[in-house]
Amino acid sequence: MNVRVFIIGMGIISPLGAGYSETFAALKKGRTGITPLSLFPTSHQEPLPVGEIGDVPHHEHLPRTHVLAKIAAQEAMRRTKEKPDAIVMGVITGGMPVTEELLMRGIYDPQRYKNHSTGSVTEYVAREVGCTGPVLTVSTACSSGTVAMKIALEMLRSGQSKCVLAGGVDALCRLTYYGFHALQLVDPAGARPLDQNRRGMTVAEGAAMFLLVAGEKPPDHAMAELLGVGLTCDAYHPAAPQPDGLGACLAMQNALSDAGVALSDIDYINLHGTGTIDNDLAEAKALHALFGVNLPFLSSTKGAFGHALAAAGAIGSAISVMSIAHHLIPANSGCEVPDPELNLHPVMVPLKAEVKTVLSNAFGFGGNNAALVMGDPEKSSSRRNVHREVTPFRILGSACLTGAGDTETTLACLYENKQIKGLMNPDAMTMHLPPRVVRRLKRLSRMVLSLALSAHKNSGTSDSPASVFFGTGWGPLSEVYDFLKKLFESDEQFSSPTDFVGSVHNAAASQVAIWFKAKGPNVTMTGEDYSFEQALMSASLLARDPDECCLLIAADEYHTVLSGLFDRSVALSDLPADGGAAFYLKPGGSDHGLRFSPVFLEYTHNNPHAVRSMMNSLGGKVRIGERFGAVFAGIPEAHREKGHQQLDDFLSVTGFRGPVIDYRRWTGEFAAASAVAAFLAAHFVKEGDLPSLHGHSSISPLDGKGILLMGLGEFVTAVEVLP
Amino acid sequence: MEKLIQELKTKIIETLSLLDMTPEDIDTDAQLVGGQTGLDSIDVLELVMMVEKDYGVKIDNKELGMKVFASVRALARYIHEKRTDTVH
Repeated sequence: MNVRVFIIGMGIISPLGAGYSETFAALKKGRTGITPLSLFPTSHQEPLPVGEIGDVPHHEHLPRTHVLAKIAAQEAMRRTKEKPDAIVMGVITGGMPVTEELLMRGIYDPQRYKNHSTGSVTEYVAREVGCTGPVLTVSTACSSGTVAMKIALEMLRSGQSKCVLAGGVDALCRLTYYGFHALQLVDPAGARPLDQNRRGMTVAEGAAMFLLVAGEKPPDHAMAELLGVGLTCDAYHPAAPQPDGLGACLAMQNALSDAGVALSDIDYINLHGTGTIDNDLAEAKALHALFGVNLPFLSSTKGAFGHALAAAGAIGSAISVMSIAHHLIPANSGCEVPDPELNLHPVMVPLKAEVKTVLSNAFGFGGNNAALVMGDPEKSSSRRNVHREVTPFRILGSACLTGAGDTETTLACLYENKQIKGLMNPDAMTMHLPPRVVRRLKRLSRMVLSLALSAHKNSGTSDSPASVFFGTGWGPLSEVYDFLKKLFESDEQFSSPTDFVGSVHNAAASQVAIWFKAKGPNVTMTGEDYSFEQALMSASLLARDPDECCLLIAADEYHTVLSGLFDRSVALSDLPADGGAAFYLKPGGSDHGLRFSPVFLEYTHNNPHAVRSMMNSLGGKVRIGERFGAVFAGIPEAHREKGHQQLDDFLSVTGFRGPVIDYRRWTGEFAAASAVAAFLAAHFVKEGDLPSLHGHSSISPLDGKGILLMGLGEFVTAVEVLP
Repeated sequence: MEKLIQELKTKIIETLSLLDMTPEDIDTDAQLVGGQTGLDSIDVLELVMMVEKDYGVKIDNKELGMKVFASVRALARYIHEKRTDTVH
């Protein structure tokens, strides 16, 4: 079947204006939205130029990121009554605009930090638009917006969703303003992409959201067709692009083949074109390698919009839609004399031309490359059939880290009925790695690299993973805290570029990619207590080649100051705990290894039927009894009441008689606890029985059945681990 | 100057967590970036911050950075020339 994906609604807010019309009018005139920062006072005598949005409605306690996301979402949904059954959003800064202000002022009331997480932005939009399906948050640095579009595209192609709201958002804050400055990547004159005198980027903010539907033919109000997206990872450096642009070139190539279009079909390329010396050089090399001498019209619009980080790819998608709808090639604002070394010929003033197909690039820290192809819905030249069933993974290897220690120690403690929750010594995690490799890695990255290496080693295979999927509720708290601490202690004079690079949620996943040279998709999902399940879900959508294995990792670190402020379950817990788990997975196809698949994930706000829907998706109560010998229930402390109600509901309807393990009692409270539970579930299914554990005096045989891993509380999730 | 060179070696090791190195391991005249120390662009920027904070000397662009961080001796010479007596 030929499933096509169409954009039926779009919303955008950026330094060029609020809404489609204002933005388009500014693009058409070649106007720029870059001005000196006025949002917050700085230590700079003259504030650096930024892409700041004027007149954003101010909400007490609600971060600017959330406000921008809602504005774009509402516009995207204005023309239709259709409600999205899923949301996928790319976010880097999340609630940072509020968090950094509170930390700076020494306010430590956890209630004030409740909108800190990147996931809270997506969940806020879900509540505002009434979405009760999968609500997913992507944080892959500056490619986030495009990666979100890719996940949405695959959800629609696979038939899992019918209507998805997807996009990206970021708001200006001190972390990014000073962070890019510390990296000497900001052009004091404002970004001049492709110019021979360019000196860097302009940090900006914005949001762009799209309402996407699947169909065989374009609906009446289709604005554009999302034809394809390609994702790759340089696996080269935590921040700098691969100088030869090979990863970027492959991302574009993958996007074209995913879209089923030829090079000659591309009428316009919206470049990533940040204006940094290295990005523009690498991107130019990638373009020459792919297109040769037949380059279509091209321009970077970051001299007009600035670089809106997680929103950048979504804004690029919005520009693609406008370009197709109005036959407009936007200008490469800011560039006066194109750099002869790049040998590109950007469009210098806005011009009219027929545009049927657009390629749009977004690259980010960690060598995350994403390229997207948008087409005219009525003139699609796509020659590709897509409709893919989602098949289970096979677990080839796995590993965990807990307060008890590594995989072996954790299992030994568990079988001896000893406590496994707590904090592990960070040096012990990485004691087998060369000091040079780990010298810049703080707690979370150390955990993640160590887990990835152990899971791969335990698989006994010598081949390397092609792709990496990582889930983390709160990201690298040590780096974020250390960056802000140094900044505020020095009256905003000094900050650490190393900590800034390490502060992005996907930093740990990029270290894994660099170690294994994993050049396929590198995706980090950040949905608080359900990040592991979101990462597994994105893996099931993006890692489909049975010949290529992938690494799935989820971990969270405990931080003495931040964990208790951000994570309410941690604040309620009497014992600090952290850890995580990793799985080396083979998609479908094979007969060896346990079967592992994400079956269900829904946001439960205003969704009283979530548990029933989950039971249906598991095949109903009889199937549940036949297939599962035990249930592992994940109930975060902050949602205990709601979670227990959901669990009771599940047990009363299914009449499930097997053991039900409330696993956070063992693991302790941290967002990635479900990954540790999945690791243990897989171990027990392989062994064939549950050991005698706290609350269960005797060994429980599983009778050849699997374990159902349920997440409860704000989301209801189901993951199957089957023999 | 020799004292400054020794001091810088210690600071480089501390700032960049080069825990497997001692000051004696760093050759004063050897290439600092990409050489035996395996330093990269982020490390250079981290050192830029350290130099500004501890010696009051600014190195605010990449081209200058490349020259200044050619070796520990080049760095010491630059700091020696530029440092203001009011700082440190």
